Amino acid sequence: MSLYDKIFPPRITTLPNGKSVAKPRSRAPVVILVILALSYVSVKVTGFDLSVVVRRSKEFFVIFARMVPPEWGYMSRVWKPLMDTIKMSLLGSAVGALLAVPFATLASTNIVKNKVLVAAMRLFFSLVRTLPTLITALIATYIFGLGTLAGTIAIAVFTFAYLGKVLYEEIETVDMGAFEAMESMGVTKARAFVFAILPQVAPSYFSNCLFCFEGNVRYAAILGYVGAGGIGLILNEKIGWREYPSVGIILLALFVTVFIIETISREIRRHLT
Amino acid sequence: MIDFSHVGKTYPNGFQALKDINLKIEQGEFVAVIGLSGAGKSTLIRTINRMHDVTEGTLTVDDVDVMALKGKALRRFRRRIGMIFQSFNLVTRTTVLKNVLAARVPDLSWWRAFLGVFPKADKLAALEALDQVGILDKAYVRADQLSGGQQQRVALARTLAQNPQIILADEPVASLDPVTARQVMRDFARINQELNITVIINIHHVELALQHASRVIGIRAGEIVYDGSAADVTPQVLEQIYDGKLEEAENESV
Repeated sequence: MSLYDKIFPPRITTLPNGKSVAKPRSRAPVVILVILALSYVSVKVTGFDLSVVVRRSKEFFVIFARMVPPEWGYMSRVWKPLMDTIKMSLLGSAVGALLAVPFATLASTNIVKNKVLVAAMRLFFSLVRTLPTLITALIATYIFGLGTLAGTIAIAVFTFAYLGKVLYEEIETVDMGAFEAMESMGVTKARAFVFAILPQVAPSYFSNCLFCFEGNVRYAAILGYVGAGGIGLILNEKIGWREYPSVGIILLALFVTVFIIETISREIRRHLT
Repeated sequence: MIDFSHVGKTYPNGFQALKDINLKIEQGEFVAVIGLSGAGKSTLIRTINRMHDVTEGTLTVDDVDVMALKGKALRRFRRRIGMIFQSFNLVTRTTVLKNVLAARVPDLSWWRAFLGVFPKADKLAALEALDQVGILDKAYVRADQLSGGQQQRVALARTLAQNPQIILADEPVASLDPVTARQVMRDFARINQELNITVIINIHHVELALQHASRVIGIRAGEIVYDGSAADVTPQVLEQIYDGKLEEAENESV
């Protein structure tokens, strides 16, 4: 019996025949109190001021109003960076997703029995995941120069770290029965993995790849801020010059693109699972 | 011939699963292993194909010392031994045929294994194995669309496609209904007789065991307490194997 049960004794239900069961008291009130206390602390620490939010919020609509109507004529200059953005995210996602498979396999405790190797792989994944994509892109521009290559690499690194973690967690929850059966038939671990584990994780893996790609299109849009190519480059420039009608057309183009990609991806994912 | 000589098995946590097992099983026998849960039935069966290691004594299969096998030699050895599981252990997301073809994976070249492309001869062999267990018509159905009994037959076909000398079955009928269980046991008996494959089955269902197996081995707390013909198993023998708990359970249910 825990301390909590001693302070708030469980509710006892007694059946007509004299037998009884105890229902422990809910822990929810304590959890709610803790959350409220933490919220209060974070408001104090971050200096969140509601009056500023209320007073200044209307400025958003001022800026928004200046984007309308968008500068349609500028669209001809938006196409190339927009396509660059999509290419960056597509290639980066594909490379990252592919690389994630062998590494995630080595990070799965049910496949690899060597605890040191598994721990090393997981540490590697968390290290890579800690790196914000924008910083990765910035570093990549120092190494590979300004442009889409740096952006592609930043996206690949992020995808690798994210999908890798999702995948090894997925691999650890599969039914090991078929794997065991194949091992008992004298199949090597690598082949047993391909035949018994991959079919089980494939649908959710592809689904996660697409989900990641959706997010990457949005990520790729801001990588231009650090010179890693794509639509962020002109977005940064036009906001800097306060050319809001041009900003309007860039955002509209981005919105339509993301919407189309998300719709297609959602449709495919629906059929996968 | 499978030969256990003073075989013992102690788990790393100190639990002694098998104690001084001495046992000879000839090629073509149909053996049922019975006993309480945790008595060591599963451990006994799984030492034969080295899914579990033994810690004392020697275990030989056709004069090969099982514990001396490693890596490639162990895998080649395992290919002669089929294994059937309580929960079928199929890849449920893929077709029945692909599941049976799994038995052919060790012989594939690496690129065929990686891409999952099987030679025509393998496909034919797999289809023949499915025909042997009477579910040829299900070859291109996804495994999870089948009933439990049909799935266990797929597992049986997969084992047959391996051309085994020995089939080890770990509670093969425990998750099947009584009618299907009987059919699957008949499949085992037929395969045992027609192909002269040694069949060793762990089973809780004593009646089914006595009906189909020719030899019964009773295990209690890691020790063999009965080894003889199925026809000689008397209620007293069962009491001994089940540690007097059979009668207890029957009295309770009254």
